[in-house]
Amino acid sequence: MTATQPFPPGRYRPVIPALLALLAGAAAMAMTEMTHAGSFTDLQPRLPTRVNGWQAAAEDRIFDDRTIFSYINGAGEVYRAYNMQACLSRRYVKKGDTVIILDVFDMGAPEDAFGVFTHDTDGVRIDIGQDARFRPGWLSFWQNRFFVSIYVEEESAAAEQAVKALGRQVATIAGKPGRRPQILEMLPTKGLDTGSIRYLHHPIVLNYHYYLFDENILHLSPQVDATLASYSRSGEQARLLLIRYPQTQTARKSLAGFRTHYLPDADSAGAARLENGRWSAVRLAGRLLTVALEADSRQLAENLLNEAGRNAAKE
Amino acid sequence: MQHRNNKRVITRRDFLKTGSYAAAGSLVGLPLLRRASAQTSAKSRVVLIRDREVIGQDGNLNGHVLESMLDRAVTALLDAPDPKTAWGKLFRPNDVVGIKTNVWSPLPTPEALETALVFRLGQVGVKSGSIAVEDRDIRDNPVFMRSTALINVRPMRTHHWSGLGTLLKNYIMFVSAPWMYHGNSCERLGAIWKKPHVNGKTRLNILVMLTPLFHGIGPHHFSRRYLWPYAGLVVSTDPVAADATGARIIGAKRNEFFDSHRPISPPPLHIAAADTRFGLGNASADRIDLVRLGWGEQILI
Repeated sequence: MTATQPFPPGRYRPVIPALLALLAGAAAMAMTEMTHAGSFTDLQPRLPTRVNGWQAAAEDRIFDDRTIFSYINGAGEVYRAYNMQACLSRRYVKKGDTVIILDVFDMGAPEDAFGVFTHDTDGVRIDIGQDARFRPGWLSFWQNRFFVSIYVEEESAAAEQAVKALGRQVATIAGKPGRRPQILEMLPTKGLDTGSIRYLHHPIVLNYHYYLFDENILHLSPQVDATLASYSRSGEQARLLLIRYPQTQTARKSLAGFRTHYLPDADSAGAARLENGRWSAVRLAGRLLTVALEADSRQLAENLLNEAGRNAAKE
Repeated sequence: MQHRNNKRVITRRDFLKTGSYAAAGSLVGLPLLRRASAQTSAKSRVVLIRDREVIGQDGNLNGHVLESMLDRAVTALLDAPDPKTAWGKLFRPNDVVGIKTNVWSPLPTPEALETALVFRLGQVGVKSGSIAVEDRDIRDNPVFMRSTALINVRPMRTHHWSGLGTLLKNYIMFVSAPWMYHGNSCERLGAIWKKPHVNGKTRLNILVMLTPLFHGIGPHHFSRRYLWPYAGLVVSTDPVAADATGARIIGAKRNEFFDSHRPISPPPLHIAAADTRFGLGNASADRIDLVRLGWGEQILI
């Protein structure tokens, strides 16, 4: 990404166990603008030490946005892309059974906890926290400003029950429900596949879900909210990308960049037929860039942009 | 489209033009990137060797079987009469050899394999002080810094950013800013192999497929549920051909396990790009001479 570099480069560092006191100070500073949020250090002492016969083992490990790479390797980029403040990892052990690993990510804001949750929404919906998914061996959910992952190294019925019980306990102590990103309200509701909704700020996350450019042409940054979702209407499919910028000037620059690099053949309505026969269209509604991606028809692309524009006008 | 400094911005439409975005998982190649010239003339030999005895009933590896597999593979790869001759074709006593391993804790390169590699280098006459086995600190390792040759050895697994953790991907620690290569499914990984301190040094690539990971979940991208005892090694002097072979096996395993077409996600674009864009080797099956040795059940390729 070279068009703009709003994201400071991360570094791979060796494991440096964080001092809790230091983390507490940092977390407290980070939370000054948060609503609802219980502090990370408030949460830690209340995390369960036992669940269904599993016992918390050793000391918790805490990672920050740099040391996270030592824990989860390159996937740490995902959490950094959502402004991760800290990650607490606790292992639960039971003689003769699998280890259960609890990772609680303090994302700093509920919107980003939601965002990182939407990065992977495979699995079965389950009623834990604000949204949850369960797949064999892994439970993920978000609550308040926390994204929570609980996984087992070996599956068993007892471990699955313990994972769900642990998840419910953690969700209960994670604080009141947090806000969902406001930009979601601008998504047209008709035909929306709610399981496909992604919320993001970072080009690397956008490109993971839908590759568009090898550069940050859309000027995504921590200050920019974006959502990507899939639609199905009357047998036709499309994806819709909405990006809301803090400044109109940036929105205009992004529109111009998109038209120059992606839709140079767009007509006066901002629509063009792609090489695969589908349609893409782009439009600016104030500070909201609306982009229809690979719609099965021009009509569907334009309808989505019109409806998103109307939703934005209600703001 | 030209961007700053006349750099061309690559967009999704470039892929749509050739229909290759959807087909990227099948390694048919990337668009707009003219085939590099170096690798087009000859097929690449890849040896796939399997031995079910390499993994015991208790799940532990049998080091002796593993060492034997390595020797048989290298001997077949180089059409040599015996392992000693084969290793002698690859390395000289005055070589300084960095063995780029992988320490990812859920699925590291087996220590027994590292030991076997060091032993074989010693037999060729490479001095012990001229051999290093390293992963994350290779840029600071004095042997790697003065290396004349590299061995690339790592387990095959699915990977969050690149689709697959491959031999090509294993060299990401040769650069100071690995995250710079994460964009577009790490498609640019081949560029690392062109850097002066890496270019042309790799003599042998060993893709460890003893218990490969064919699917990942969660922040750690790991579950034992998605390991299987394939009991294989994929060995080649061509990293692209070895990776492409491994990718086909992983793809077949995913389809079998999930009982549906379940492409590797994200698509491992870097393998095809290493062929078509960076000229590091052959990705297409029709340019790979695959030699199968040993156990043939459920070979998947």
